Amino acid sequence: MIKQIGTRLWKIITSFELTIVSLALLMALVFLCTLAQVHLGTLGAVNAYMRSFIVWWQPQSMNISIPVFPGGTLVGMALVVNLTASTIKRLAFTWQKAGLWIVHIGLILLIAGEFATGAFQVDTSMAIEVGQTVNFVESPRSMELAVIDTTDPAYDDVYSIPEATLAREGTVAIPGTPLAIRVRKFFRNANLSALGQGDQPSMATAGVGPGVKVVGAPAVTRDEEINHTTAFIEPIAGGRSFGTWLVSTDLGAPQGFTYEGRSYRLLVRPRRIYLPYAVTLKKFSHDVYPGTDIPKNFSSLIHLSNPGTGEERDVLIYMNQPLRYDGKAFYQASFGKGDTLSILQVVGNPGWLIPYISCVLVTIGLLIHFGITLRRSVKRRQSQKEG
Amino acid sequence: MKLAKLFPWLAGVLALAAVLFAMLPSGKVRGFDIQGFASLPVLEGGRVKPLDSVARNSLLMIRGQQSFRSGGHTFNADEWLLDLMLRPQVADQQPVFRIDDPDVLGLIGMKQSSNRYYSFQALGPHLEEVQKQAQAAQPIEPQKRTRFQSAVVNLFERVYLYYKLRNTLQLAGTPGLAFEMQTLGTPDASQRHADLAQVAQFRPLPPLPGQNADAWQSTGEALRAADAGSVHPALPLLAQASQAYATGDTNGFNGAVKALEARIAAERPEFVSHADHEVLFNRTQPFYQGMWLYVAALIVVFVSWAWKPEILRPTAFALLCVGALVHTGGLIFRIVLQGRPPVTNLYSSAVFVGWGAVILGLILERLYKNGFGTAVATAAGFASLIVAQHLGTEGDTMEMMRAVLDSNFWLATHVVTITIGYSGTFLAGAIAIGYTIRKHLVPDPDPETTRSLVSMAYGIICFALFFSFVGTVLGGIWADQSWGRFWGWDPKENGALLIVLWNAIILHARWAGYVRERGLMAMAIFGNIITSLSWFGVNLLGVGLHSYGFTTNGFWWLMGFDATQALFMFLCLMPSLRSATHRHA
Repeated sequence: MIKQIGTRLWKIITSFELTIVSLALLMALVFLCTLAQVHLGTLGAVNAYMRSFIVWWQPQSMNISIPVFPGGTLVGMALVVNLTASTIKRLAFTWQKAGLWIVHIGLILLIAGEFATGAFQVDTSMAIEVGQTVNFVESPRSMELAVIDTTDPAYDDVYSIPEATLAREGTVAIPGTPLAIRVRKFFRNANLSALGQGDQPSMATAGVGPGVKVVGAPAVTRDEEINHTTAFIEPIAGGRSFGTWLVSTDLGAPQGFTYEGRSYRLLVRPRRIYLPYAVTLKKFSHDVYPGTDIPKNFSSLIHLSNPGTGEERDVLIYMNQPLRYDGKAFYQASFGKGDTLSILQVVGNPGWLIPYISCVLVTIGLLIHFGITLRRSVKRRQSQKEG
Repeated sequence: MKLAKLFPWLAGVLALAAVLFAMLPSGKVRGFDIQGFASLPVLEGGRVKPLDSVARNSLLMIRGQQSFRSGGHTFNADEWLLDLMLRPQVADQQPVFRIDDPDVLGLIGMKQSSNRYYSFQALGPHLEEVQKQAQAAQPIEPQKRTRFQSAVVNLFERVYLYYKLRNTLQLAGTPGLAFEMQTLGTPDASQRHADLAQVAQFRPLPPLPGQNADAWQSTGEALRAADAGSVHPALPLLAQASQAYATGDTNGFNGAVKALEARIAAERPEFVSHADHEVLFNRTQPFYQGMWLYVAALIVVFVSWAWKPEILRPTAFALLCVGALVHTGGLIFRIVLQGRPPVTNLYSSAVFVGWGAVILGLILERLYKNGFGTAVATAAGFASLIVAQHLGTEGDTMEMMRAVLDSNFWLATHVVTITIGYSGTFLAGAIAIGYTIRKHLVPDPDPETTRSLVSMAYGIICFALFFSFVGTVLGGIWADQSWGRFWGWDPKENGALLIVLWNAIILHARWAGYVRERGLMAMAIFGNIITSLSWFGVNLLGVGLHSYGFTTNGFWWLMGFDATQALFMFLCLMPSLRSATHRHA
């Protein structure tokens, strides 16, 4: 009985039907994902359609989600299983089939590479002004609450609480300090405005918060939109509360309090990841074609300084020419402030080499296979003519 | 029998002669050496080009044609531009603005009639209203505009281009450049010179010796420098040409044009030779010629199936060869002129897709010798060149590349490979359409030819899968090199992936035996839909990094094309009309 089920299962996962159904489902997903980008933005659409097991549909005005379609992850896994199993089952280990073997191994690698990217790729950016030295990258899509001890004028001690922790709305003790932060309310995205006459009083009791009205908003995913991450927090130290503060990426005003002679500042900002080396922007160039505003070239001349390895060198980063360093790649992404600010995109993806390898494999494999097929068909035509 | 052998050669030579004839320069117009003036290099849109290109592209954008008839005389683009710049009172009466949209016509107080062309003078009283409406519509994203909003913005942009050209060499409504030279440094002059410098559409005065090759000057800038005492040596010559043209002094004009050319050639010979070559390219119009050659070949091949195949099939093939020769020549000419790989924008991709399909079809015809290769090659070549002709009305087809695309290596590898993939998929679709038509129209189709059609389509699908896959992955590698991710699910990337997936599905369905002849052919036709969507459809979404070739009007054309393809798929799957009628009879 079990053997029977096993045989049937093996038959299904090695079948051409599964290949074709999976490929067709993938086509449908890719098509839907492309259309959805108009409203959801690239990241939102990819997360909904490609990087999910199931595509959910939420009818308007109803608070339920209905599974409507298998997601990209599921289809991708089905394809990998089908590809692996049917390659083993169907392809004889002969020179005739060598091309197809190589193609399928290359494809498995390619899909695996996309899974690796989804799982491990870290997208960050580095905004740097001419003359400025920066030793951190920022994650534009996740925020943090930074508690900065500014007592010593020579340096700051930075303690940060990532967004995911804030979202749990509990009390977080900050190691190395007597402080704890109680998160009373968290908004992934919110609209802030001045508190009007008839509005409910704010939850905040200290800082600028009492004068601000906060309305939660749905989180956005479109590339050009950003979330105004906002929270009401209550610093606690030595059993005493320092009041409830409103903190938000949308608030410019610095806020802070003093405890036992130490000054602390509170702010929400894009999550920072500090690097063991520093980058100084020496020069940013932005050329346009004469008489037009068509960009001809962007480039950033940076100085890289790594005290750990003693490296000191200049690097020119420009379009199609990133700097690969320390497992990260630095790309010229954008610019601003009258061409004095350069924005570099910093990407860490341990699997970045996989697609290159798989591309070479599939190309060679297809060439071999179609080469063999072509030779056979030419031979057949010749023998037909002779016969 | 001898004639039968000779006839195809004769047809080919005649066709070639007709193409060469188009390369001959035209004579003087009203005694003016307009050709010489149009060959002068200027700087526009960031690159050096002959005035001829400025004239043709501008007239294409404004009127949708490179020449027009008015008052019993055919104006070519050069003469029109010269009039516009130096005799605006004449040009303003020429009906050059094409307006189709009924609401826009209503805005300027016209009824929809057979006349679709209006002069600047006729538009004059309504320009303020047009500007007001256009400025209200401009902040709206292009894909969210209503038809009226798009049309009024489009009209305004064309009027603005016209206005800029009209005020590039001298301000319209002033006595002209010669007058400016006489009144240098006077109080009112500086305001006029500043206005001229601001609205200039192109820069006619070449860099001075020792200056950077980009340091071209507009007339206004040169006049401002002249106000300060340093007169660009070409400026008096331009003033002479301007005055001579306005007063009808042909000798004075022709002499000034010669002197101007000699002046530029002495210091920057490369600009003059580049401009001359581009004028020759513009005059030859190889892709336009190629289009007509393909039509001729297509008609001959159709006739050959009914009448005198032994003469007409080789004749069609000869015409196809000449067409392919002209097409290839044009591509190479463009590559050399631009210093870029063949595909740099949507227009050139259409030219290249057609070229790829034609070359593949030529090879098929050599292999199978049944006329089908010729038929699909000419049909595909004709269709894609028509598309290119339409895309070419949107401006300079050799525009400069934005920084992110400015990489000859990746343009030559990724873009060319993926475009060959498009060619292959379209050609397979064309073969399948040919199969469908034959199935319904030809009584008792011979099974041998049917088999060879199927194997043609199958081979081309393999070819297309290879190139679309390699092209897609190369695109990923370019993306990884330039903005840090191999695959970003960008609409254009997705489009390319859809083609790869569809070709893979066809091949797997065939290997598994789920589809045979009919199914394979119907799937190949569906490949046309997928490819057209990924080629043009993503540009309509207006999102993503690749949305550089935005076209609004294209949407309905695309839908229309896809509808015909769906119809062909249906016909392909239906039993033959012929066999049905036989049975009933």
